[in-house]
Amino acid sequence: MKTCKTGVYICSCGTNIARIIDVDAVKEFSGSLPNVAFARTYKYMCSNPGQDMIVNDIREHNLDRIVVAACSPRMHERTFRKALQSAGLNQYLFEMANIREQCSWVHDDRPEATEKAKALTHAAIKKAELHEPLENMSVNMCPRTLIIGGGIAGMTAALELAESGYQVYLVEKQDRLGGNLARVDLTAPYLDSAHDLVTDRITRVRNNKHVEVHYQAKVTELKGYVGNFSAVIQNINGHSSETAREIEIGNLIVCTGYKEFDASRITHYGYGKLPNVITSFEFEGMLKEGRIVTKDGKVPDYVAIIHCVGSRNQEFHTYCSRVCCMTALKYAHEVKSAIPGCYVSDVYIDMHAFGKGHEDFYSRTSEVKTLFLMYEKNDRPVIRKAGPKDDCDMLIEVNERLSGEVIEIPADLIILMVGMEAQQDSAEIARLVNISQDKEGWFIESHPKLEPVATTTDGIYIAGTCVAPKDIPDTVAQARAAAARVHARISKGKIDVDAVYSEVNENLCSGCRICNTVCSYSAIEFLVSNQRSHVISAMCKACGVCVAACPSAAIKGRHFTDQQILAQLEGLLSPV
Amino acid sequence: MAIRVNPRLIEDLNRFGAADVQMCYHCGDCSAVCVHTDDMFRFPRKSMRQLQMGLEKRLDTALEPWLCYYCGQCSDQCPREAHPGETMMSLRRWLINRYDITGIAGKFFRSVQTEVWTVIIMGLLTALAALGYHLFSGSIYVVDGPDAFLPSHIVHMFDIALGSVLGIILLLNALHMWSLTMKEGGEASIPWWLYIKSILQLPLHFFTQKRYAECITTKKSGLYMPWIIHLGLMWGYVTMLVLVMVFLPYLQKGPEIFWPAHIFGYLASIGLLTGVFYFIRSRLIRKYAQYHKSHSTDWVFVILLALITITGILQHIFHRTGLPVAANITYLLHLMVVVPWLLRMPFSKWAHLVYRPLAMYFAAVRKNAYAWQEKKQRSFSPDLQPI
Ligand SMILES: Cc1cc2nc3c(=O)[nH]c(=O)nc-3n(C[C@H](O)[C@H](O)[C@H](O)COP(=O)(O)OP(=O)(O)OC[C@H]3O[C@@H](n4cnc5c(N)ncnc54)[C@H](O)[C@@H]3O)c2cc1C
Ligand code: HEM
Ligand code: SF4
Ligand code: SF4
Ligand code: SF4
Ligand code: SF4
Ligand code: SF4
Repeated sequence: MKTCKTGVYICSCGTNIARIIDVDAVKEFSGSLPNVAFARTYKYMCSNPGQDMIVNDIREHNLDRIVVAACSPRMHERTFRKALQSAGLNQYLFEMANIREQCSWVHDDRPEATEKAKALTHAAIKKAELHEPLENMSVNMCPRTLIIGGGIAGMTAALELAESGYQVYLVEKQDRLGGNLARVDLTAPYLDSAHDLVTDRITRVRNNKHVEVHYQAKVTELKGYVGNFSAVIQNINGHSSETAREIEIGNLIVCTGYKEFDASRITHYGYGKLPNVITSFEFEGMLKEGRIVTKDGKVPDYVAIIHCVGSRNQEFHTYCSRVCCMTALKYAHEVKSAIPGCYVSDVYIDMHAFGKGHEDFYSRTSEVKTLFLMYEKNDRPVIRKAGPKDDCDMLIEVNERLSGEVIEIPADLIILMVGMEAQQDSAEIARLVNISQDKEGWFIESHPKLEPVATTTDGIYIAGTCVAPKDIPDTVAQARAAAARVHARISKGKIDVDAVYSEVNENLCSGCRICNTVCSYSAIEFLVSNQRSHVISAMCKACGVCVAACPSAAIKGRHFTDQQILAQLEGLLSPV
Repeated sequence: MAIRVNPRLIEDLNRFGAADVQMCYHCGDCSAVCVHTDDMFRFPRKSMRQLQMGLEKRLDTALEPWLCYYCGQCSDQCPREAHPGETMMSLRRWLINRYDITGIAGKFFRSVQTEVWTVIIMGLLTALAALGYHLFSGSIYVVDGPDAFLPSHIVHMFDIALGSVLGIILLLNALHMWSLTMKEGGEASIPWWLYIKSILQLPLHFFTQKRYAECITTKKSGLYMPWIIHLGLMWGYVTMLVLVMVFLPYLQKGPEIFWPAHIFGYLASIGLLTGVFYFIRSRLIRKYAQYHKSHSTDWVFVILLALITITGILQHIFHRTGLPVAANITYLLHLMVVVPWLLRMPFSKWAHLVYRPLAMYFAAVRKNAYAWQEKKQRSFSPDLQPI
């Protein structure tokens, strides 16, 4: 048995732990174990006094192993590792026992919970005995960034980085920049021109020598890991002399945006059959031309706007597309100012006016005398052609919720507020850059609140409407956030990689390549030169799957070796 | 069957004063604070909705506007400045126009010019008639008796004739109201004895306006304002009307004071004066929600009433203090206001004296009819309606 000098600390976490677990009993028990110099309890181990206690004890008593029985290591492992470092001890000579999430929070029998806490602490002590000092690794960070998608998100992120002097590759599949915003006229709620927003950015992107724009191009291949990716940009129209180009990049930001819902999927709106039923994008086109007219060139007396087309129902998408309510209000304003006598009805489910200035905009739209009619999610309005005696082109039947009446309203022009959908090729992109999608196809962030632009793949960021429907301010905020994250990493020049990863012992490896297939993070490469597998440590997440899968027992998980795990089990199962 | 909306209704109602109804986003606060709304008659939110949507059919047959006593509580509560109280007021104006079979009311409500010019022309015609009569007989120095400048028996006859014609129009309009609200509006057919059962509602609400007293703001005001003021004004008016229509010759005698008749005249004048003073002042200072927005007809209404009261009182004073010329001139002025006032009677806000008590009565009948129907067919369950 290895000899060492372990300090054990049992945290009460206020009453979070102490309420169910007899921490003094755990202290008595651990203090009596071999190799343990002493055990202590404290109210909040993660507090500064708690950390200082560890630091002082290491210095005074020459401790060489530290075990903290407290919360989940996801919470505070870093905190305590830092304490070890500041006391001059290698940070990996540390182990945490989770007696909160995995014990006090899930049990209510005090004696049994105390026994379990003892076992968990014992397991940690046994494992810590076998810990070895490890050093973090540092890898190079390539300062160039690849951005996929040249909408407002992509251009904003590109400018943010390029204006700090970093090289950016901007890949856009169309022959122009601007994305969907280039199709919009004025923007809600302040009615600024979208054209101004977009052209300013396009000009700046084109004039910036640090941005290399690839039009009509796609990224077809991505290899490597954070700081050291290589990507292939392929021209898709085929005319260009250079059809494929390989580039080296450190980070990648996905800004592929959205596509609009196909309104003809809702048959009883008659889109595609009734000529005066149009989508919001088609109406934006009319606004841009400055001519609001029906198909036969007549100025409409009645304009109706229908919300949530394709959004917020079980049949198509359950989510809200977030921008269409305000866009609809914008249309009401624009119609009213172009045709003052026009009767504008706005047929909605709920008015989503959550953003800055939105509620006021809603009020102002009421002021310009827009009729708001509420329909039930699953009871959509029905559009039909009006008769020869009617003074309008179409009639909309609505089961109106606020009055409880079934009514018929006249319309000459009907605007369908089509929702946003994930891009057609979003699954392809997700696979390419190794990120996940939700059931609707939007890319998933690493944490929806705390990590809104990072993904589970290090070095890959997402921004804008490819993450979820959002308006321009939110899109721009995300783009800048992603750029800032990338900026922070490249300005450091190098990145620290955790010392916990798997290693292949080349002498034992048979070259069977089983591990290559099981690794979900594509962290194992096969070296053709010597016919051996090799773990790219910067990409390894230390999940341990390959360690278990290797038939030759050639892979060792650093910091979670077989011996360490067995010792842990031994501690867990020995009598308390 | 889907109801076809009237998209232009709201523009029309705008002219009746419903300027802010589009601001309503149906939070329902207004209905929650109103003491007069109940399970069967829901307002003002629902009325706001019907108006916004142009559900003319529903509004035509609605009693709700008359069940609102315009205390202003709802307007104070509205988070959207949609002025629900004023919307109900506008709907009353609009309904007066809808009930009116002659179509004159609508012209007055929709155009202030029409109304004011009609009043002026009627006043001048009255003066012309009086002066024309003066060419043949009567003396400006005589106030009563057969030689009077405006002899009471002629004025009296004229009063009664005019009153009867207009009374008949008002009656026909009231019948029209009945057919709209009770025949087209009430879904259930109503047996005649239910009308008998609630008949006392009519005098009750006419003489007391007790619902006015129940409003929160009325109670909060401490002195039951403006209900008490309105009660004084209304009693004063009715007293004066009876005096003029029945006892005019006694009033006209002078210069001595004929107490059995005049004492009522004095009391009535106090009620009228306080009333018009209070309402004009309130509309000028605009402190309370119900006086924030004044439609032109509101002004014409109170101003004419104030002029009638003042010229009447002045005529009385001049007459009793032995100033026959001044008395006769103020009398002529008085008639110049009274005639247009009477002519406007069935076409103006004033018609509420008939429609309001009638609406209370009809509402009671309708409620009883529902209860009766429900008893008849136990299984009947009214649909849940949004408030
Ligand atoms: C009708 C309508 C009106 C709107 N009005 C407003 C408004 O008034 N105010 C407001 O705040 N918001 C408004 N919006 C929302 C606004 O359009 C979006 O917030 C904004 O456009 C999002 O920008 P983006 O860059 O994320 O996506 P996009 O604009 O969709 O840009 C994505 C870009 O990526 C490119 N791309 C996609 N896939 C690939 C690929 N695989 N490879 C290369 N390139 C690719 C696309 O070609 C496109 O250029 C409106 C939306 C609609 C539908
Ligand atoms: C001779 C009869 C009546 C006269 C002269 C009369 C007079 C008036 C006047 C002058 C006003 C306007 C005040 C203002 O300018 O705000 C008014 C308002 C009002 N009256 Fe009357 N009234 C009479 C009968 C009635 C009756 C019978 C009722 C009820 C049953 C009634 C209920 C009301 C109410 C609720 C208001 C306030 C809201 C509104 O203006 O519609 N009145 N009345
Ligand atoms: S934002 Fe769009 S999807 Fe959301 S409620 Fe409004 S119209 Fe519907
Ligand atoms: S599974 Fe083991 S033996 Fe097979 S390639 Fe991987 S490391 Fe080598
Ligand atoms: S430990 Fe997990 S992440 Fe690391 S190489 Fe093995 S399988 Fe991949
Ligand atoms: S309180 Fe105002 S906004 Fe709310 S329902 Fe009533 S009128 Fe409409
Ligand atoms: S004004 Fe008063 S009585 Fe009329 S609806 Fe509003 S709260 Fe009710």
